[in-house]
Amino acid sequence: MATEGATVHAIDLTVNGVAHSTTVPARRLLVHFIRETLGLRGTHIGCDTGNCGACSVICDGQLIKSCMMLAVQADGCEIETIESLGEGPDGLDPIQEAFKEHHGLQCGYCTPGIVLNAKTLLAENPHPSEAEIRRALKGNICRCTGYVNIIRSIEAAAGAQGA
Amino acid sequence: MLLAATEYVRPASLEEALTALRANTGARVLAGGQTLINVLKHRAASVDLLVDVSRLAELRFIDVAADGSAVIGAATTYAELERSAELRGAQPLIGEVAAGTVDRQVRVRGTIGGNACFADPSSNYPPLLVALEASMEIAGESGTRSVPASEFFLGLYRTAVGPGELLRAITLPALDGAGVGYRSLQIAADSWALARAVAWVRTAAGSPRTIEAVRVVLGCVAGAPVRAGATEELLAGGPASEQAVSAAAALAGEGLQPPSDVHASSSYRREMTAVMAKRALLDAIGGAS
Repeated sequence: MATEGATVHAIDLTVNGVAHSTTVPARRLLVHFIRETLGLRGTHIGCDTGNCGACSVICDGQLIKSCMMLAVQADGCEIETIESLGEGPDGLDPIQEAFKEHHGLQCGYCTPGIVLNAKTLLAENPHPSEAEIRRALKGNICRCTGYVNIIRSIEAAAGAQGA
Repeated sequence: MLLAATEYVRPASLEEALTALRANTGARVLAGGQTLINVLKHRAASVDLLVDVSRLAELRFIDVAADGSAVIGAATTYAELERSAELRGAQPLIGEVAAGTVDRQVRVRGTIGGNACFADPSSNYPPLLVALEASMEIAGESGTRSVPASEFFLGLYRTAVGPGELLRAITLPALDGAGVGYRSLQIAADSWALARAVAWVRTAAGSPRTIEAVRVVLGCVAGAPVRAGATEELLAGGPASEQAVSAAAALAGEGLQPPSDVHASSSYRREMTAVMAKRALLDAIGGAS
């Protein structure tokens, strides 16, 4: 039986544009690496079973759940978390601006994952229909809003991107 | 959650992966991890070594031949299957099923081989692979052996992949004019199924057309996919009419003892299996040329 600390693995990855070279034990989840090792607490842990999507981050341009991936598997990858959005302490990304404007959040716990979901969705499909937005949100659970304002926010963000 | 301690290796080749699997009886193949990571969190299985095959080019490819047959690497993700225009033309259901699997995040990481090797009764691909008469290419110490999908799924979480082996690829024969239908009763869009039927139908010209060959495979009703033999027998050689399909599909659930749980009783699953079989057959007949 392997024991903690018996082996660590060297990983090189980029998080929000910053290169990190470090070592991790095999069993360390990417979400724990992001939150605890890097101190980026905007990535949340909700269910910890891959259902709620609160831990969603962008890995090499694609949305993933960071509680369903080992940190060692992110070796060589480019990770973007919610902290990568916006410029400066008060500057919001247009998607965040739309969520603020259209009340796309209440408690805010699911919001980082949902905003990153919207970012990757709009990158793939700049003008999604309401049905496409709803389907895209399948992996992100919100227990406050009933989703209506989230969908309005994403539609507004798509509109703000222009044609 | 803290996973149980384990070791990890990312082999650079299929050969290295097989060597690692042979060297450690507690080794498990890690592909997308969208099931295995949860298994590790819940400590439902003890794994001494994770052999990460997710980046192996030898396991991550889609080759579609001119005749419409295809070979898919086991570590190909749902997102890659969904995006493949070639696959959409030759084997449309493979990408459609991928596109309806769980959610966007899981589709980026999860793999067709992982889905097959997990072999959960509600897994999306096993009944489809049996209906398509896919060959499962299992790599081991003495090379690769081909196992028909119908002999690959042995029961709940059990497949023909033995110790020191791994699923390398899945080979799909050309549809060659056959139609395929895939119907699931789901709790919500893209969620797991309560009942599932897949139909593969080859028709011959006539008015109405006749059914030259037919395969109906059921999911969610037993540990492994089940052929609906009585349904197939009644249809083979007969007319490809809605009336014939209705009569034959009604037999699909006969003799089955599907599980009961919080989502559906056994008898409800059995009845819905017949409904899914009818719809899948009509879709398959509609798609056959």
